[in-house]
Formats: sequence, structure tokens, C-alpha cells
Amino acid sequence: MAKADTMVSGRGVWRAVLPAVRRVLSADRPLVWLLPVILLLLSIGIYPLLYNLYNSFREFDPVSRQYENVGWENWTKLYTDGRVRGAVANTAVYVAIALVIEFALGLAIAMLLSTGPWGAGLWQSMLILPMVVPPTIAAVMFEVLENADYGSISWILYGLGILDKTEPLLGGTGRYATVAVLLPDIWQWTPFFVLILLAGLKALPTEPLEAAQVDGASAWQRFTHIIMPMLRPMIAVAVLFRLVDLIKVFDYIYVITNGGPGTDTEVISYYAYTRSFQNIEWGYGSTLGLAILVLAIVVANIYVKLLRVEW
Amino acid sequence: MVREGRALADITVDTSNYPSAELYEIAARKRRRRRRLAQAGRSLLTAAVALLFFAPILWWLLASFKPTTEILSARPSLIFEPTLNWFRVVIGNDDPTRFNVEQTGSVGRGSGGGTFYSLPYLRDSFVIAGSSTLLVLLLATPAAYALSRFPMRRRKDIAFWILTQRMMPPIVAAFPLFTVFRTLGWIDSYHGLILVHTAINAPLAVLLLLSFFDEVPRDLDDAAMVDGASRFGAFSRIILGYVRGGLMATAVLAFIFSWNEFLLTLVLTTGQIRTVPVASSTFTTAFATEWGYLAALGTASIIPIFVFILLVQRHLVRGLTLGAVK
Repeated sequence: MAKADTMVSGRGVWRAVLPAVRRVLSADRPLVWLLPVILLLLSIGIYPLLYNLYNSFREFDPVSRQYENVGWENWTKLYTDGRVRGAVANTAVYVAIALVIEFALGLAIAMLLSTGPWGAGLWQSMLILPMVVPPTIAAVMFEVLENADYGSISWILYGLGILDKTEPLLGGTGRYATVAVLLPDIWQWTPFFVLILLAGLKALPTEPLEAAQVDGASAWQRFTHIIMPMLRPMIAVAVLFRLVDLIKVFDYIYVITNGGPGTDTEVISYYAYTRSFQNIEWGYGSTLGLAILVLAIVVANIYVKLLRVEW
Repeated sequence: MVREGRALADITVDTSNYPSAELYEIAARKRRRRRRLAQAGRSLLTAAVALLFFAPILWWLLASFKPTTEILSARPSLIFEPTLNWFRVVIGNDDPTRFNVEQTGSVGRGSGGGTFYSLPYLRDSFVIAGSSTLLVLLLATPAAYALSRFPMRRRKDIAFWILTQRMMPPIVAAFPLFTVFRTLGWIDSYHGLILVHTAINAPLAVLLLLSFFDEVPRDLDDAAMVDGASRFGAFSRIILGYVRGGLMATAVLAFIFSWNEFLLTLVLTTGQIRTVPVASSTFTTAFATEWGYLAALGTASIIPIFVFILLVQRHLVRGLTLGAVK
């Protein structure tokens, strides 16, 4: 209601409207019940879209502090700008690696938990916690843990011989910078898959599995031919949600690498941010924002069509 | 059922070749033991995995009580001389220079544009997350109820449109909101951020609550209205009571998402208002080595969230998938 308050400016008006609102709410008029949310989403969801569209045909001149019309220039720049291609490629790599690892690891842990180990409840609660740590805090945590000199993760990796001190996770030549920004993502969001797939596993009917066991199916056959097909709807939903969020990835990059070294970890959201708020190219920044949205919608739609996801 | 001419007693079975009951017992015990061993193995593995995921949190919690030399040692240590210095500065507003001199011998600097004293950041985060949670419940509950109950031709389309709003990358909205906020003078304002965070959480709240309302039988509404309640009365006095768990889960998730939101808050503030995620990002850029303060702020900001989330653990899966997976 406070929303309406700010919209209608002036308490007198509001007071006069209130009885009418109550009367209207008592009738079966869905629009009235939905209106506040729809207005809110329109103002914060649709308005920016239109504004970006308008902005994408002009550019801000920091010297004269004026906008000037540039026609399609911002849009053609999307094709000629090599950093766009690089950022899209970086995002694709980031999304693909994160999705595969988080899904595989999540499925494995969910299977493990579904066999009913001792203390399953406790372990499950423990696994939830990474998900609710603010991503910026998680990023900072991993920045310390990945530090070449005093980071514990680096120390463990050196000890295991996986990593060499001349090629640290952070700094150095920056060869592993992508790994460095992926680690906090994997740490925070593998539990997401664990939770959803575990819920799926627990809800599975037991008859098909028992029947398969009686018929002599091996554990692997039961997994590939019965469990996976039955889990499919859950997997589809979990991957869709993660996919949509991964395309937006920003926080870890902003905190840990700032897109560097060079532009090696520059993802699309971060690139649009630098163009808009560091280079003050507001027109081009808006164009990039729209491009990201189009990309996200296209990818999500392809995914939904491919897997015929029933939302 | 005994056939004629052949009494049961006539049938004899030679049991001398059968394994004795004892042997069966031994085999069963062996099987049980093997099963228990496998169970122990799986339990151990699960525990190891869970502890691996918990380790960074534990490390961070401990770091907030460690002196700098301990934080900056690669080998994680469990035994150390605890210090409350970080919390004294972050929560108690002590002068950090004193500790800097004690520990490093130099005065050090304040963090970029802000101080390590973090109660104001925690307060800002709390005000914004708390208010936007209340507001989103206030707006989304009637909407979810309407979507669940009223006959609507485009019900599915509206629900799907709301879902797509959740997919919007924040960077798309960042700049347009920034210009509007600048025009309205809402940069660094509570109400502006509350409104934005409410909008971010609205899709989650509507869709999640919708899934809870859908589980309450419509007969209850009808019965209430037959008894003379208005539509609004049936909603507020009868049905709301049945979705209490759902409201709680929605509130917790909305609170957490608002508490964690970074990009839009970063863009729509200049430092007068600083939420925890924004403040923590300024700590690092200005100060490569003062991790202790950051650890203390992190600890202070994640503990309440841990408590909240464990309270609604039961509904977490449903919440994270906006009601798609129950």
C-alpha cells in the first residue's frame, strides 16, 4: 500500500480513496489485487527497458554534458567491438564450466545424502550455509584463501602438487584467473543442485527401482535407465534457474579480478558496467545492457524448447 | 486343503543336506555387517564433503578472532590466541590506529571513503532488507491469492511474465534507475533502495506464495463466504492462516536476497548509505591486507542469516525454484 502512497502523492487523496479500495477488494476483481505488483514490476522492469532502448540511439558527451543522437552507431559497435566478443566468450566459458561442475558435484552429493548416511540432517544443514553468504563476502573470502602467499587453498594445492608457486591462482601470469572466480561460484551454488536433486530423489517412487533390482539391473543401469529419467524434470528446472543466474554473474568478478588480467575474466555484465559507470558511455552501456537481456532470453528460450521444460 | 489319501504327515522332507539355522544366522550377520560398513563409509564420505563446504565459513569465523599474523599464514590453524580487536573496531567503534600500531608498528589508513566501524552498514542493510521484505509481502500476498483463486483467462501468462522479470540482469536496470533516481534525488535514500529491492523480490514472493495458496482447498474460501465473509475477509481471516509457513519462508528468502544484493545498491548509492556487501567491497579495494576487519564484518553479517535460513530449511527447495519444485 505504501507503494500507492508514493504514487498518489498527498495523504488526503489516499484517505479519500481508501474506503473505495476496501470495497473494490471485496469483489472478485483480480486486477485490483494484482495491480500494485504489476505497477511495481512495470516501473522497475519495463521502464528501464524502454529507457535503454531510447538511450541506445544516443551517446553522452562528458565534455558538453549533453546527449547527442548517434543513430545506429551503438548497435553496429556491438559487432565491431572486440571486447564484446571476448566478454561473450568469457561468459560462455564461465557458465558452461560452472554448470557442468555444479551439476555433477551436486548430483553426486545428493545421491550420497539420499542413501541415508548417519547425521544426514546435520550435513544437509551445513551444505545450505554457503548459499546464503552474501556473494561479495564469499568473493572476499576466496580472495584471501586463493592468495598466492598466504591463501590456504593455494597452500593445499601447492602441497598436493596440483598448482605450482610460479603459476598461482591469483596474480602471476593470471593463467588461472578464471578458476579463481569460478571457485566461489562452485562453492556457493553446488549446494543449490544438492538440495533440489535431493528433494527429487526423495520423491521418487521406489517400485521401479525395486523391480529393476529384482530383474538384475546393475547399480549403474538403475542410475542411467531409471533414476536419471525420473529426475529429469527436477534437473531441467534446477539447470534453468542456475543458467539464468550465471548469465548475470557480476559480484565475484567485480571483487576478485575486476575483469583482469587484461580482459581475461571480463564477463558481459561486468563489461556493460565498466562502459556505463567507469567510461561514462551511457548510450553504449545501455545498448550492451539490452544485448545481455536479449542474449539471456534467447539462451533461456532455446533451453526451454530443447528440453521441453514444463515450468 | 489336504488332498485325499495323502495326509500332511506323510510328506517327509530330507533336511540333512540343508544348511543349519546357524549358518543362515552367520550369513545374515555378515550381510548386516557389510551393509553397516558401507553405511559407515558413505557417512564418512558425506561428512567429509559437508565439512569441506563448511570449511571456508569456519575459516572466516575463526579469522575474525585471529591476529593478523595468523590470518596471513597459509596453513590454517585451529589453535591460536584469540583477539576481539577486530570486533572492537567493527562493532564497538574503537580507534583502529591503536591496533594497527600494536600489530604492525604503523598507523595504517582508514578504508577508502569509509571507516571500519560497521554498525551503520549493518543498520542500513537491516533497514533496507527488513522494510523491503515487509513491503513485498504486503504487495505480493494479495497478488498471489488473486492468481490462485480468481478465474482469469491469462493466469498462466501473467505468472510467466512475472517469472521473466526474475531473469532480468540487474545491469540492464542499473543505468535507467540511476538516472531516474538522480532526477528524483533518491540516490542514497532508504525509500529508493527499499522500492528497488521490493521489486527485485516481487517475482519470488508472488510465485512462491502462489504455490502455497494453490495447496489450500478452495472450499475453505467458499465456506467462509457462505458464512457471510467478504472476499477480503475470507482471504485475510481464513486463508492467510493456512499459508503461514509459506509467508515465513517467503519473508526469509526475500530478506536474504535483499541482504545480499550488490550491483543495484552499488550503483544507486555514493557512500551515504552503505549496505554490507557494498561496504565489504570498499574494504578490499582500499586495503589489501586488513582482512581482520572484513572477517569481523562478514561474521557479523552472516550469522543472523544462517539462523533465519535454518528456520525455514523445510521450504528452501521450493523457495529457490519459485515454487516449481516442492
